This record gives sequence, C-alpha cells and structure tokens, in this order.
Amino acid sequence: MSSDARPQELSYADVNRDVVRSLVETGSKYYITLACSIAVMLACFFFPWFYQLYYGIGAAGVNHPSVWGTYLASFIFWIGLSHSGTLLSCVLHITNSEWRKAMYRSAEAMTLFSLMVAAMMVMVHVGRPWFIHWAVPYPNQMEMWPNFRSPLMFDVMAITTYLTGSSIFIYMGSIPDFAAVRDRTTGWRHHMYVILSLGWRGTDLEWHRLRWAYTFLAVLIIPLAVSVHSIVSWDFALSIVPALHQTIFAPYFVVGAIYSGTAGIVTVMYFLRKYMNFEQYITKVHFDNLGKLLLVLSLIWTYINIVEIFSGWYGGTSTEGEAIRYRLFGYYAPLYWEMILFCAVAPLLMISKRFRTSFVPMLILSILINIGMYTERFLIVGTSLSRQYLPDAWGLYVPSLVELSIIVGSVAMFITLFLIFVKIFPSVSIYEVKETLPEPEPEPDTPTGEPEWQPTH
Amino acid sequence: MATHALGLFGTPSEALAAAGELKGSGFGQPSVISPIPLETAEEVLGEKKSVIKRFTFFGALFGGLGGFALAAGTAVLYVHPTGGRPIITWPPFLIITYEMTILFGILATVIGFLVSARFPAFRDRIYVPEAAVDKFAVAVPCEDQSVFERAAAILRGAGAEEVREVTE
Repeated sequence: MSSDARPQELSYADVNRDVVRSLVETGSKYYITLACSIAVMLACFFFPWFYQLYYGIGAAGVNHPSVWGTYLASFIFWIGLSHSGTLLSCVLHITNSEWRKAMYRSAEAMTLFSLMVAAMMVMVHVGRPWFIHWAVPYPNQMEMWPNFRSPLMFDVMAITTYLTGSSIFIYMGSIPDFAAVRDRTTGWRHHMYVILSLGWRGTDLEWHRLRWAYTFLAVLIIPLAVSVHSIVSWDFALSIVPALHQTIFAPYFVVGAIYSGTAGIVTVMYFLRKYMNFEQYITKVHFDNLGKLLLVLSLIWTYINIVEIFSGWYGGTSTEGEAIRYRLFGYYAPLYWEMILFCAVAPLLMISKRFRTSFVPMLILSILINIGMYTERFLIVGTSLSRQYLPDAWGLYVPSLVELSIIVGSVAMFITLFLIFVKIFPSVSIYEVKETLPEPEPEPDTPTGEPEWQPTH
Repeated sequence: MATHALGLFGTPSEALAAAGELKGSGFGQPSVISPIPLETAEEVLGEKKSVIKRFTFFGALFGGLGGFALAAGTAVLYVHPTGGRPIITWPPFLIITYEMTILFGILATVIGFLVSARFPAFRDRIYVPEAAVDKFAVAVPCEDQSVFERAAAILRGAGAEEVREVTE
C-alpha cells in the first residue's frame, strides 16, 4: 500500500515547484470563488446574526420546550468535522503511514477552521455574545467564578485546548515547508515566510528536535481529540432528557465525529486535487484508503444506532419508548430515514474498490454522508427536547429563516477560511512528500549549475 | 566569525558518508543540512539527547496541578451547593485537570522545541537554499586555511559536487 502512495515520476525539485506554484500563482477562478464565498458569508451569516442581535433571540425558531436548535446542531456538526483532521493525522503519524503525507496538511487545516466556525456557532447560540467572557475564569468585582461542574465549562476548556493544540500541530509541521517557500518568494510573501519559518535551515539537530516535538504533540492530541467530542456529548448526556441521558453517547459522538470528518477530508481532497493541480500527489490510493476507513466507520456508526434504539426499547420505560417512536415515526421521521439512507445504507457502496477509487462518486457520497451527519445532530437536539416527560410540555421545533441562513453562512465561512489557507500554507507537505520519493541518484558527470530560481535568503 | 567548509552532495548517503569521515578524522562536529529528515543521521553523527520530554512532562504536571487548583479553588471562592453534594467534586474536576494537563503539556513541548532547536533565529547562519530543495550539505568548522583545505579534500573525495568556504 505504501509504495503505491508515492507520487510517481516526481523529483524533489518538482515537489518544491508544484507546491510553491500553488501558493503564488492565482487565477481568476480563485478570486471569483473567494469573492462569492465572502459575499455568501456576509449575506447569510453575519447579516442574519446582526438581525438576531438587534431584534433578540426570538428571531430564531427556538422556544420552550426546544430551547436548543440548529445553532447547537451546527456546533456539534462543525466540532465533529474537525475530528478527523488532526486526529487522523496524529494516528497515521504515529503508525508511520506513508499515504498520510500528501493529504494531512489540508486535513489539519480542516480541523482548525471547523473549530473556528464551531466557536462562532456558540457565539450565535448564546444570544448575547458580549457576555461570553463570563465563561473565562478571571477575578472580577462580582466575585463570581464559572461553575466547573457544568459540562458547558468542560466544553470551554476542551475546545480551547483542542484549538490551541491543533493550531500548534499544523504550524509546527509546516515550519520546514515555510523555509522552503521562503527561499523561492519575494516581497511581502518572503517577509511573511521568513518570520513563519523562524530561521529554519534543515540541520540534523533541527530535524531531530522537530521529530521529537511533533511526535509528543501527536501523542498528546490523540486523547485530547477523543475527550473533546466525549465532552460535547456530555452537554446532552448529563441532562436527564429521554433519548439524551445515555451512557453510549460519548463513543457515539466520537465515532460520528470521525466519520463525518473523514467524509469531509474526501470532499476537501477532491477539490484540492482538481483545482490546485495536485493530481500527482493526491491519488486513487488516498481515496481508496479513506474509503475503507469510511466504510468501517459507517458500520460502527450503524451498530451504535441500532444499540441506541435497542437499549431504549429494552429499557421499557414509557418516556424512552415515546422518544424512540417519535424519532422513527414522528414529525421528523423523514429526516431520520434520510440519515439512515445517507449514513448507513449508501456507504455500503464503498465495499466495491471500483467505487472507492472513483473520484466523483466518492465526492458525492462524502457530501451525502455529511448531510446525513448534520441531520443526525439536528435530530439529537430537535427530537429529544420536543418530547420530554409530560405530554403537555411537548412542542415542535422548526428552524426559522435566520437559522437556516446561518447554516448556509457557516459553510461559506469555512470555505472562505480554507481558500485563504491554501494561499498561505503549503497545502501539501513538501518535505514529507519528498520522503516518499525514491532517494536521488548520484550523477557524477553532471555539473551542479545554478538553480532555476534566485535564492532571496 | 567562524569559517566552515561546506560540501554540497546530490544524495543523502554521500553526505552522511562525508560527515562520518570528517568526524572520524578529528574535525569538529559536522552538521548535515538536508531537505528531508535523515533517519540514519544519528548513527553517523552520534546520538542526540533531547530535553523536550522534560519540558513536556513538567508542563503537563504543572497543567494538571493548576487545572485541579483552578476548578477546586473557584468552587471554594464561589460556593454553590447542589443537592448536598461535595463542593470539591472529583469527577467533573478531573475532566478540567485532564484538559489542562494536555494544554500545558502541548505549550511546554513547543517551548522545549524552540529552546532546544535554538529558535527563532533570524541572524545570518550557515545555510544553502539548495538544501531546501534537492541537495544535501555537510558543514564543518575550520580554524584556519590549512584545516579548510584538508576538510575540502575529504568532502571532494566523498563525492561533493561543490565545496564552499562560508563564515558564520
């Protein structure tokens, strides 16, 4: 498997050239896409949000009993999407998987930007974001402190740590590449990469230190990532709401997060490969391996869903029974069966290698999986609070236009951040791809000659 | 300003062989500058000890103790009795302890990396931009011209495509 993951017929210089080209050569398509995504972000995210801030949280469809709506569903979705990037990169780094090397940088960026969007969703959800600093423990004249027994405070600590860890992990792995790009750029870009590369030269001492630090970070981040989505699940599972108060919620959320995140990587890899001209780097082997991973995750996810239904039914309480009945056959039932179709049935197509190695079908399936996973999060939040213990407290939650618009806007925000990323960070790791290439052969009769570019350092 | 002899090689094996020969011939510690990490560099240049693990350990320890102190301390400062349960509650506070252990472990690892790799370093140092592309450089300190000539001869003998005299 590993040898097939090598980009064929590439030299070390080709890798430098291709990656630098992806940073400095920008066509009109890129600017049009960026302008569109910024426009959608402003129109669909910030404008409705300011509208909600002006008119109050009533602009959203949330009300008693469903006080949680799509904002929290989006929050879980984006946190989930963040999960495969850095986590997968860390696991594959420790297990020394060669196929990771061409794609991990973009996957890690996905983590970072998903987390940022998730944090924005919290800002929108809380209604009065100017009080968000109350979640930070600092001495204040009111002598009030955050309640660390609340899962919401677990969230604050876990997400802050994960965002910090992921940012550091992607930056540290990029330092040698910043140095390589530094030598081939001019003007403001050169100055930026001089600072970002910290003066990296590539000495044996520097490589040794980087390897140690990077491995330590990977080891620290793996349990952190698992804890983050477990903690997100406890936001719900530590309540006593039927269908939420379940011990299986932590592994259910973690598996769901890695599942949707891996599907997200497939989507990102498709566009990166096609529009940044990385066909030689991101190959069928990557899609094949990601497909296998997705298939296994879909089976685990399906199993946990069956267990969730079974244990609710086996418990035999009227409240759990009603929660299950409502989810399977109630008002939101079409959404439930759509989720099952997209996340449990359709992924079975990946049993076929031909399907896994076909780019467009994999792209479509990865998008369908993430639509299904968004639905899952909506159902967790929406159906549970609609059907609590007493029938006179039952209600129906339908998202308002403001909420629906903000979902679209959050996707545009993610795309905007990613488009900016691909022009600043080398989206394919230069030095790690070189490691997968055959060692250069000695050419005794060929003079060294001048490099085709002028070093500026 | 120290003078160095710097040889440029086309392959990592040639560069490492040259570094090993220089080391065995009584020169100062050579350094290899390469576009990729070389797994066998330590076998030739000697094992390197890293202090990063100490930074990570003590950072994580500080984070863990600090995290628990934060959760327990704030609970004591703002007493919020809930159903007769203890004010300092182990299960939720261990989660805060866990997160802070990892946060400070990560931050200390970064500091350890910067300190031990001597970053950031924006002053002029020995560097060849080709070594960020496809060349492998070996640099060794030389006290005077005669030492440089001897080092240059070894580098050329090991297959260096080019030998330069550089100062740091």
